[in-house]
Amino acid sequence: MRRRRARALAEAVAELDAVVEGRVEYLLARGWTPADARAEALRRLGMPLENARYELYQSVRRRERTMQLRELLNDAWDDTRYAIRGLTRRPGFTAVAVLTLAVGIGATTAIFSAVDTIVWRPLPFPEPERLMKVSLIAPQRGRMARNDNMPFSYLKYLAFRDAQTVFERLALFSPTSFNVTEDNTERISGEHVSAAYFATLGVTMARGSAFAPEEDAHPDAPKQVILADGYWKRHYGGDPKVVGRNISFDCNPYQIVGIAAQGFRGLSGGADVFVPITTLSAHTLSFAQSHNYSLVARRKGAVSREQAAAAVQSLGVHVGEVYPDRAPAAEPWSAIARQLDETRAAPLVKRALFVLMAAVALVLVIACVNIANLLIGRAELRRREVALRVALGAGRGRLARLFLTESLLLALAGGAAGVLVAWGGVTLLSRIDPGNALRASARAGMIGAVGFSSIHLDGVALGFALALTALAGLGFGLTPSLHARGRSLPGALRGGLRATDAGSRRLSGRRVLIVTEVALALVLLAGSGLMTRSLLKLLEVDPGFNASGVMAFRIAVPASLTRDRGAGDTRSALPEVYATLVERIRAIPGVTAAAFADCVPVSGGCNGTRIEFLDRPKVSDPSQLPGVGVHWVTPDWFAAMGVPLLRGRRFTDADRQGAPNVVVVSERAAKDFWPDEDPIGKRVALGQGDLEGGAEVIGVVGNVRAVIDEAAKPEVYLSYYQSEQPAAAGFVRTSNDPLLALGPVRQAVHEVLPAAPVFDPQRMSARLTASMARPRFAAGLLALFAAIALGLAVMGIYGVMSFAVSQRTHEIGIRMALGADRSVVLRSVLGEGISLALLGVLIGLAGALAAARGVRALLFNVGPFDPVTYAGMVAVLTAAAIAACWFPARRATRVDPMDAIRAE
Amino acid sequence: MPLLKGTLDLLVLKALSWGPRHSFEIISWIESRSEGRLEITDAAILQAFHRMEERDLITAEWARTSNDRRARYYRLTAAGRAGLRADGDALLDHIHALRRVLTARTSAG
Repeated sequence: MRRRRARALAEAVAELDAVVEGRVEYLLARGWTPADARAEALRRLGMPLENARYELYQSVRRRERTMQLRELLNDAWDDTRYAIRGLTRRPGFTAVAVLTLAVGIGATTAIFSAVDTIVWRPLPFPEPERLMKVSLIAPQRGRMARNDNMPFSYLKYLAFRDAQTVFERLALFSPTSFNVTEDNTERISGEHVSAAYFATLGVTMARGSAFAPEEDAHPDAPKQVILADGYWKRHYGGDPKVVGRNISFDCNPYQIVGIAAQGFRGLSGGADVFVPITTLSAHTLSFAQSHNYSLVARRKGAVSREQAAAAVQSLGVHVGEVYPDRAPAAEPWSAIARQLDETRAAPLVKRALFVLMAAVALVLVIACVNIANLLIGRAELRRREVALRVALGAGRGRLARLFLTESLLLALAGGAAGVLVAWGGVTLLSRIDPGNALRASARAGMIGAVGFSSIHLDGVALGFALALTALAGLGFGLTPSLHARGRSLPGALRGGLRATDAGSRRLSGRRVLIVTEVALALVLLAGSGLMTRSLLKLLEVDPGFNASGVMAFRIAVPASLTRDRGAGDTRSALPEVYATLVERIRAIPGVTAAAFADCVPVSGGCNGTRIEFLDRPKVSDPSQLPGVGVHWVTPDWFAAMGVPLLRGRRFTDADRQGAPNVVVVSERAAKDFWPDEDPIGKRVALGQGDLEGGAEVIGVVGNVRAVIDEAAKPEVYLSYYQSEQPAAAGFVRTSNDPLLALGPVRQAVHEVLPAAPVFDPQRMSARLTASMARPRFAAGLLALFAAIALGLAVMGIYGVMSFAVSQRTHEIGIRMALGADRSVVLRSVLGEGISLALLGVLIGLAGALAAARGVRALLFNVGPFDPVTYAGMVAVLTAAAIAACWFPARRATRVDPMDAIRAE
Repeated sequence: MPLLKGTLDLLVLKALSWGPRHSFEIISWIESRSEGRLEITDAAILQAFHRMEERDLITAEWARTSNDRRARYYRLTAAGRAGLRADGDALLDHIHALRRVLTARTSAG
């Protein structure tokens, strides 16, 4: 470039001199004296010679710059046209390459979108980096484990708020649900929030106003509510006049004061309405140890993360001193402030997403390796053409550019198709039930502000896809160019595609790619195998009940029906209500059993307390008592759910208020608490259900899992007829599809409890499936990726082996002409392929074992080095590799010796 | 009289319309055809060459002249030929119109 420009400048000067000389000669020929002629020639130049030189320098430099650019563009255009012609001439190759890439880029982009939305993208609030979630740290107290994610109680929040100086604003929120008692009773999700909630997050009101700050101070103010935008549109058709009207929850009027900005559904991620926390009863709010409310806070601009963290820690100690816990603890209570952003996805969800991201990246690499392989194969076939071009003067750089153009074009087509795949993938991902599959669980104290359903292809994802495309194009485009190096020109021009030493050396590059591909595929297969086996183990788990033909629904029994302890009520009206409900529902045609329980199995969130054994010495420190799950059931629940009775008896209708208190325990409880004794007849006291005074154990039933992938815990069952409990879920067993009974069940419940909506009806089989949604999701996607990887690897092996055979046609022909057996030929070709595959398997095995630690946390009852999985996947991959070699090998044995030799 | 803006390129194109010529041939051809009435400096013409090469109207090549000197020979490109035709016609139209205006006689005359 530089040399060319220097030459152009020199030439411009030479031209100038030539023109001057030309004129001098012209004038001399007309009789001028040499001196006059030269003076005239210089005059006609129009400017001093030096200036003319300078001007010409400028114009030449400009000319060169433009012309070089034009040549570059022309070359690029030529390359592009050439590449397009080449690609369209071989539609099969192009289609395979584009599809391979589309799958790789598309899947990677789709998973990237999910990770970006759930983990990386900043929370959709102004200055989200200043938002923190503050939790209390409860020290270990007796048998109660340390909890560093303890929510606040209202009183502790007030103490914290009034003492703190590092936060600009802070607010409480707590997910809850309401019965809308309008024309149709309906159950909706909501949040109890303190007034500053919206201001803290920076969420504005689309209409109306946020809660007035005084709300915090005046618990007796009229009850207010703010609607989420979606609920407002769904139920009020977006009517702006709704602000100021009333909506009825549990038959109490709430005044609608505002509509929240579009898309905001609270930090719990699913709220339809927001109600001030001060609408809760003063009794609830005044209990200092009632830790139910999460605290979110916005740091002051000048306060750093570390300063806030340090301040929060000592504030936590202060709050712990203001409201001391009765149970003795080794260390004081404290508090911790985390970036809100870090709490938005449960660690397991994050882990699953990262594993998927890594897996899909491997798929993309394998796809690129495959295409590089295809391109090298193509370059081999074009050896003569390339040699010809070199002979005609095409430089190596020019050739490399040609190949690169082709691969970039291929990548671009693949990227475009990949965006389509990604769009499909994202649509599928966002359809997966967000609540179960990926949203952070409330149990883990996470926020769900950014649900999975908000995943979409946006500019970031498209940019990511474009970057991948460019990277892929460069990646597999440079390989064949490098490969094209160091090639002897005369040999190539002589032309025969004969197997020579050089030929087999060229193949070795492709062999490396095959080994790489097989190794990467094995890593994916092993990971997917582990996850699948883990899922299978999960599916084998006996939940402890018979799910088929059972529907469970929830009802919200109005709090007004519970007895008023303050007024001295001793008998509860609830047993009568449940008995009537059971009777009415069982009367529905097709219903074979009906029962209630306060907690739905495999759905988590059950209740627990401490158990005390009255026939053993009194324990002075109550926190040393063991924990136990507590469940209320109607007497028929065990039979309705198919939970077996192991010893003793079940509840009967006679176990009612006034009769001796009795409980049933689970098998796990019996084994844990009475390892060498018969629990029947033993007396226990419980921290709940008015059984502080004690109850007799009358039976032992089978274990029922509250959470499918957690071992059964000790449980104790109480009868609704004896102990008051307003929380209830109904269970209906029918002879056909239980959901068909939903209509009559609603009717029956409505007749008994007009203000209690029936909500969340689902088949128990569906709940069982949903309880495994995350493992299913991760294992399913991983299996898909592994299958794609396997397919690509097989394609790669097949391609290389086919090519190797076609290269060796001549040699094989000669060998067979010399009397080689077909089986020898078969063995030699198969042997080569299999040895490549085995080398890949070996390397892959090492990689898989190293990567296994990454999935360990996601596995259930399967070790990360589970030998069965690894053996199985090695077998699958090897078998696939043998199959991929088999067909080219067979073709080799069918070579006609005469044809092969004559073909030269 | 100084040259009208943009006409120099046209003159060069015209000079080349019979075939390749070197720099001084072009200069002297324009001088002789205009009978020396156009004030064009040699430097301006040389710059015009570069400009026109840049615009892909002409290409150049070194060769020997009849009296065995090295000279830069210019040749019209397809674009140059088309440019000559179009711009030449336009300029002639323009001049024709100017002439009609400038040579108009008063109605009394």
